Amino acid sequence: MLWFALPWPLEKASAQPAQDEPGDPPACDPLGWWALRLTPHVTRLGDALLLEVSGSLRLWGGAAALQRRIFEENPALASANIAQAAIGIIALAHLRLRRDGRGVPAGGVAALPLSVLDAARLHLPLLERLGLRTWGDAHALPRAPMVRRFGPGLRAALDVAFGLVPERYPWLVLPERFDEALELPAHAESAPALLWSANRLLAALQAWLRARQQGVLAFELGWTLDQKRLNGRALPPAQSLRIRTAEPAQSMDHLRRLLAERLARTSLLAPAIGLRLHAVQTAPWQPGNAALLPGEQRRGEPLHVFIERANARLGPGSVRRPVLRADHRPEQRQRWEVVDEKNHPHPKPLPPAGEGATDHAPADALAPTWLLHPPQPLEVRGGLPWRGGAALRLLTRPCRVETGWWAEGAPASDAAGEAVARDYFMAQGAAQELLWVYRERPTSRTPASAAPRWFLHGIYA
Amino acid sequence: MMMLELDGCLLKSTVIVPALALVSAAHRVADWRATAPPGVWPADALAADDGGRTVSTAHPSLDVQLPGGGWPLGALIELLQPAPDAPVWPLVLPALAARQHSAGGALALVGSPHEPFVPALMAAGVRADAVLWLRADAPSARLWLAEQALACADVAAVLAWLPRARSADLRRLHLAAARRGEGLLFALRPAEAAVSASPAPLRVQVDAEDGTPVPTLRLHLLKRRGPPLAEPVLLGRCAPLRDVLAASAAGQGVSDADRAPPWAARAGLDVVRPEVGDAVVRLAVAA
Repeated sequence: MLWFALPWPLEKASAQPAQDEPGDPPACDPLGWWALRLTPHVTRLGDALLLEVSGSLRLWGGAAALQRRIFEENPALASANIAQAAIGIIALAHLRLRRDGRGVPAGGVAALPLSVLDAARLHLPLLERLGLRTWGDAHALPRAPMVRRFGPGLRAALDVAFGLVPERYPWLVLPERFDEALELPAHAESAPALLWSANRLLAALQAWLRARQQGVLAFELGWTLDQKRLNGRALPPAQSLRIRTAEPAQSMDHLRRLLAERLARTSLLAPAIGLRLHAVQTAPWQPGNAALLPGEQRRGEPLHVFIERANARLGPGSVRRPVLRADHRPEQRQRWEVVDEKNHPHPKPLPPAGEGATDHAPADALAPTWLLHPPQPLEVRGGLPWRGGAALRLLTRPCRVETGWWAEGAPASDAAGEAVARDYFMAQGAAQELLWVYRERPTSRTPASAAPRWFLHGIYA
Repeated sequence: MMMLELDGCLLKSTVIVPALALVSAAHRVADWRATAPPGVWPADALAADDGGRTVSTAHPSLDVQLPGGGWPLGALIELLQPAPDAPVWPLVLPALAARQHSAGGALALVGSPHEPFVPALMAAGVRADAVLWLRADAPSARLWLAEQALACADVAAVLAWLPRARSADLRRLHLAAARRGEGLLFALRPAEAAVSASPAPLRVQVDAEDGTPVPTLRLHLLKRRGPPLAEPVLLGRCAPLRDVLAASAAGQGVSDADRAPPWAARAGLDVVRPEVGDAVVRLAVAA
C-alpha cells in the first residue's frame, strides 16, 4: 500500500471567490476527477485528497516519477507538498505537519502528535490534560476503557494507523452525467462577464470528460437571473445557451471560443447570480492518430471548427455548400445548403480526387462561372437584348431549355422551381464581357401579343 | 554594381552591395547565387524557388514570369480587377483545381460578387463537394472569415473579394497565409488599389484585352520578387470556350451582316462553322 496525500482544496482554489465555506465541500471536484487518471482509488478525507497508488505504481514508473507527474500536470500544487506513507491517515498527518511548518518527528507512527489525527480532534483538550500527546501514547491505553471514554472512533483510527485493521474509504466515483452549478462571486451584468466563471465550469467539464473517456458534443450553459420582474414584465427564472459541435471534443479551446462568440451576441435579461453547466450530449472519445513521420502533421484546425466558429460569430447561414441536382434549369442545378454542426461536410481530410472529379457533363465547360440569382431582366430594343447602352452580340446558336412542366399549376415552391421555356445564348457586351443570356419562349401561359423578354443569367468571369 | 533586394514584404529595403567587391569578378555572382541566404536574390533575376512551394498556373506564359514558376503558396496574391465580377476565373481555376487534387481540402469563396455556378467549376476540375461559399458583407467580417479559413487545415485555397481592405488588413492576411504555409490565398481588389502599397509579394492587375476577337486577359505584374515586367502577359480562355469564341469570331462577318433580322431568323444561322468547331463546340452549339 502506498498513499499520497494532496492538499485539498488547493490554495489557489481557496483564494478564489469567497463562497467556499469551510466544511462545505465544493460542488465539483476537478482535482479528484483528474486524480482518477492516476489510480482508481481516490478519496477525499478532511482537507486532503488521498490517492492509493500501489496498484498503478508500475504503470507510472515508480513513486518518484508519479510525484513528478502530479506536479507537472498540476501547476497549482507546486507550492504545496505531497505526503507519502504506507497508510492513508499517516500520509494525511505528514501532510498536515508539513503544511503547518512542523517537521515529521522521528520515531515513526508512535511519535506523531494527536493534533493531526481527525478522530482525536474532539478530545484534544482531555488528551492534553491526561498527558497524552502522541499517537503512541494513546495507543498504549487499555482498549476497553479507552473505547468507553473516547468512543470507538479514536480507537478505530489508531487501529488503522498501527496496521491492526485495514483502511476502508468511500472511493470517489464520477457522476454519471455532468451537471454542475456555481454561484457567481458578484452579479454579472453582461453576458461576456459570465465567461470568466464559466471557464471554471468548463475546466471541470474537461476533467470529467477525460476521466470518463468521453468527448462532449453539446452542452448547455444556464444562468439564473436575480430579478423576477423588470419594468413590470415577468422574467423567466433562468436563461440558457446551448453550444453544439460536430466532433466530440475534449479540448475546451474551441468550445470556449464558441461560447465567447455566442455570449458576445447574447444579452442578459437581468443580472445573473448563478451559473450551471450541463453536458447535454457526449460520445466516446477517440483521439486522433498522430503521424509517425515528423513532417506529416497537418497544420491548422479541422474544418468543422472553422465552420462552427464562423456560424457562431456571423450567425447561421454564413457558410454554405452546394448541393447539386440533375436538372436542366441552371438555377435548379445547384442549391446552397447552410452548413452547420449537423451537416458539416468533411470531418476527414479530403482524399486526392481521382476520377470522381470528372463526372460533369462536357457542355458544362461552356457554362458561366457566375450565376445571377434571380436572372436580371435586360432591356429589349428591336428584338435584341441591350445592356449598358449597347446591343449584345449573340455568339452562339440557341441552347433550348424547356422543362419543369411538372411544376406548372403546383404551388410555387423553391424546391420544384417553375416551368421554363428558354433559349440560352452566349453573348458579348460592349465592354467585351461574355454573358449568358436567355430569351423566354412564348408558351401557352404568356399572352400572344407580348414581346419576348430577355434575361441575363450568368457571367463568364 | 549589384543590387540585392531583401525578401521582405514587411520590410521592403534595398541593399546595395559595394561595387568593388563584385565588379572585379563576374563569376562571383554565381557564387552569390549559390551562397545567398534564403530570400536574397540578384535584382535582375527572379527569386529562387524556395523548396517548390508554388503551384503552376497552368498558363506557361505566366509561369515563366513568376518566381518559382507558379502561384506562391503561403503568401498573399493580390489580383486587381476593374470590377468584382470581371473575368478572373480562367486565371485561378487551373491552379485551384490542381491544388485541390494534390493536397485535398476545400475551396473557400469569401464574399463573392455573385453566386458561383458549381457545374462550371466542376468542369474545370474543382470538386463540388469541397466548395464553401462564405457570405459576409462587412469588410471586417470578410477579413475575419478569410483569416479563419486560412487557419483551417482542410481549406486548400481561399478566394477573398476585399473591395475595402487596408494595407494593415492585407498584412494580417499575408501573415496568416505564411503561418499556414501551404494554402493558396487570392485577394481580389479593385483596380484603384494598384497605386497604394501592399504587403503582397505578388500583385497582378487583370484587365480584359480590348479589340481582340477572342477575349483575352491582359495581366500586368505590378509586383513580383524579381525585376519589374514592362509588357503585360496575355492569357487566353480555357479550351472549349476559346474554340467557341474563335469559331464565333470567324463567322462574325456573317453574323454582323445578319444582325438586322431579329433572333428568329438567327436561329438557322451558321454562326459556328462545322470545320472550325471541334466536337465540344458542336455539342455546345447543338445542345
